[in-house]
This record gives sequence, C-alpha cells and structure tokens, in this order.
Amino acid sequence: MAKIKSLIKIKPKKYSDGEVVQMSLMVMHPMETGLRKDKKTGEIIPADYINSVKFEYNGKVVTTMNVWESISTNPVFSTYLKIDGAGELKVTFTENTGEVHEKSTKIKPKG
Amino acid sequence: MLRREFFKTLGVVAAATAVVPSMSFAAGAAPKGPNEMSYEAALKAVTNGKGATPSDKVSLKVPEIAENGAVVPVTVEVDSPMTEKDYVKTIHVFATKNNNSRCAAVHLTPANGKAMFSSRIKLGQTQDVAAIVEMSDGSFLSAAQSVKVTIGGCG
Repeated sequence: MAKIKSLIKIKPKKYSDGEVVQMSLMVMHPMETGLRKDKKTGEIIPADYINSVKFEYNGKVVTTMNVWESISTNPVFSTYLKIDGAGELKVTFTENTGEVHEKSTKIKPKG
Repeated sequence: MLRREFFKTLGVVAAATAVVPSMSFAAGAAPKGPNEMSYEAALKAVTNGKGATPSDKVSLKVPEIAENGAVVPVTVEVDSPMTEKDYVKTIHVFATKNNNSRCAAVHLTPANGKAMFSSRIKLGQTQDVAAIVEMSDGSFLSAAQSVKVTIGGCG
C-alpha cells in the first residue's frame, strides 16, 4: 500500500521541563471496517484499520493503545505527556494487515 | 495440619491463575479474526467478570446529539495523581451497540502526567458510549452517556 501520511502534534508549541503537554498522532487512513460494500461492484471492501499505536519517549514506552475499526476515518489519537528533558518522541502504529509505520519528532523544552 | 496446609497452597495457586488471564489481556496483543463482540462480552473480558462501579472521577465527554455517526469526538479524562503508586492503568472506550463494541484500550503509565484519551469514533446507531477505567490498584470505574445519532456511520 501507498505510504501513509501521519503527523505528531504537541500542544502547546512552547513548553518547559516538567510541564504536561498534549501529544497527538494524526494519520491519513481509511479505517475500513470490512463490513462495507463497494457500491458499483457489490463486493465487500476488505478490512484495513490501525490496530495498535505505541508512544515511546527516549526509548521508554509511555502509552500503548489497542484500537479497533470503530475509530473514525483519518484518526487522531491524543493523550498527555510529561516533559522530562530533551529527546525524541517515537510513535509506531500497526495496521491489521501487519504493516508497521513509524514517525518521530524531537522534544526540545525551553527554560 | 498437613491437609490444612495443602488446601491453603491450593487456594493461592487458584488465585494466581485467576489473575493471569486479565494480566495477559492488559499486556496488549490485539485480538485477531472476526471482531464481532457484544458489550456484555467485552465488559466481562476486560473486568474479568467483576464489573465496574460508576464514578465521578471519570469524565466522559461526548456530544448528546451526533449529526454524523461517522465522526463522534470522544474525550475521557480521569482524576488521578498519576504517581508510581496511584495511576490509571487502562482506559477502555466502548460503543455499546456497534458490531464490535470495543473502540480503544489505552494503556497509560505514570510518565503521562495526566490521564486522558481523546479520539473520534464511529457509531452505527443511537446508543450508549461507555468508558471503563482500570486503576493501578485493580479497581474498575466507569462512566456512560447516551448519544443520539441521526445518520449512522458504519457503512
């Protein structure tokens, strides 16, 4: 399958050490349930959805999410993160087909 | 005396094996195969048959009327200090009448700072959305709200 676009967002943009920020992963993904039929051919569209998302901060797993097809198309997964020094935030998400995608961003606290 | 001790150890072993299935579920491993699962079955699997108690600590934010069932924003926030001793282990989100009632199981750690999960879910029809929260001490808290759906979002 084509490359899937994803984005990690951190709110607010400027943060300091020890602060709790909101981190979210946005993915451009169809999230097919496997129950829908193609209107022209009448064939069932095979299921294709994200089934797990993992947030790692400086090599330590912060949050693991197991999700199912009930999540909307182009999903956004968000939760909080406590900033503890500069480093890297890595997000790994897996599809039900077994494909694994990775995205990472740098964490740079100010002050 | 020997007989008494034998039964004591037997009891301990039984308790340990009863705990193991719930641990393996919490550890991850998204289930495969047909995903159909009713809310009752899912709730039983998650809480290990114990059930959950409704609590004010869990705040579930969903719109009362969703015009489009394909995109329903859901936010679950839990009032917790998130320290090593007392934190929120897992937040489960369920859509009670969907074909597969499970939406998400979010495993948190104290490194999160605050306990929150937000996303957007699909709802096939008017139904209840429920949040089941597992605390680090093993207790289960819950919150639920009904959502009126005008256009279904599942196919």
